[in-house]
Amino acid sequence: MIRGRVGVLATCVLVSACASTNERVLDMGDQTQLQKRAYQSRTFDTTDKDKVLRAVISTLQDLGFVIDRADYELGVISATKLNVYQLKMTVSTRPRGKDQMLVRANAQFNIKPVEDPKPYQDFFASLQKSLFLTAHAGE
Amino acid sequence: MRRLAASVALVATAGCVTLPPDTFVLTPELLKQRQIETRKYSGIQERELLIACSNVLQDLGFNLENSEVRLGVLTASKQRDAVQAGEVALAIAMALLGASTPISKDQTIRVSLVVRPVRMSDGSPSQKEHFVRITVQRIVRRTDNSIIAQGLNDPELFRQFFERVSKSVFLEAQNL
Repeated sequence: MIRGRVGVLATCVLVSACASTNERVLDMGDQTQLQKRAYQSRTFDTTDKDKVLRAVISTLQDLGFVIDRADYELGVISATKLNVYQLKMTVSTRPRGKDQMLVRANAQFNIKPVEDPKPYQDFFASLQKSLFLTAHAGE
Repeated sequence: MRRLAASVALVATAGCVTLPPDTFVLTPELLKQRQIETRKYSGIQERELLIACSNVLQDLGFNLENSEVRLGVLTASKQRDAVQAGEVALAIAMALLGASTPISKDQTIRVSLVVRPVRMSDGSPSQKEHFVRITVQRIVRRTDNSIIAQGLNDPELFRQFFERVSKSVFLEAQNL
């Protein structure tokens, strides 16, 4: 009898965990993929990948991040800021058209994704100061 | 297992806080910190400067985690004891009063070091003048397995670090 109850309980836990794990892995929130891309991306009028990536690194360092990983070929930088909280950020860059670069950022604050557009606006405002270029709306 | 408990403690305490509003805004304080964390080195090429810096990190006992020479980036870390005499004395005093106080036990110190060329007046990168900038953080584990995570910003720490880079650049130039 007890064994049966434990079994049911375990199954319940497993089933509910399964559903929520998928939600977590896929980060199914209220926002669509396109909405996220819109506020997480900006384009800059340059094709200088080296300059953009180095500006991203400088901006992240300015904001108190430690650079975890950088990959020139992929055009990706990952960084972490620790200040009681943990803030992780990945910034990727890729050419867009013939004369622009697209920069995309996503951030995670402790165990939650950052889904408010404002922090991204602030990040791109800081990045454009470092690049001496104006950021245009993304995707 | 201990690590797991520690990260669980971090997650548990961190779950209820929200992102501070101006986290991505460049404030005058952050720009001041940039000056503390940056030094300019002349007469050495980027690659050689990066090698000199990686030697300094090794001198300081860091293990290299990641590197991207094309962007002048090195990331390194080390684990060290974090026990501090003051904390221990306080914990003993509190224990005498019947209260148990957790104290710092060990820590992971992480550093990212970035070399970037000084931009000339026409915007092109200099071959012989570079900035070196480091950002440092530590994650301290306490005796109750709670975690304290912080960035380090003591100017003296950076002054001493860059003194060593200067020496290393000199040794590099002499091929020692």
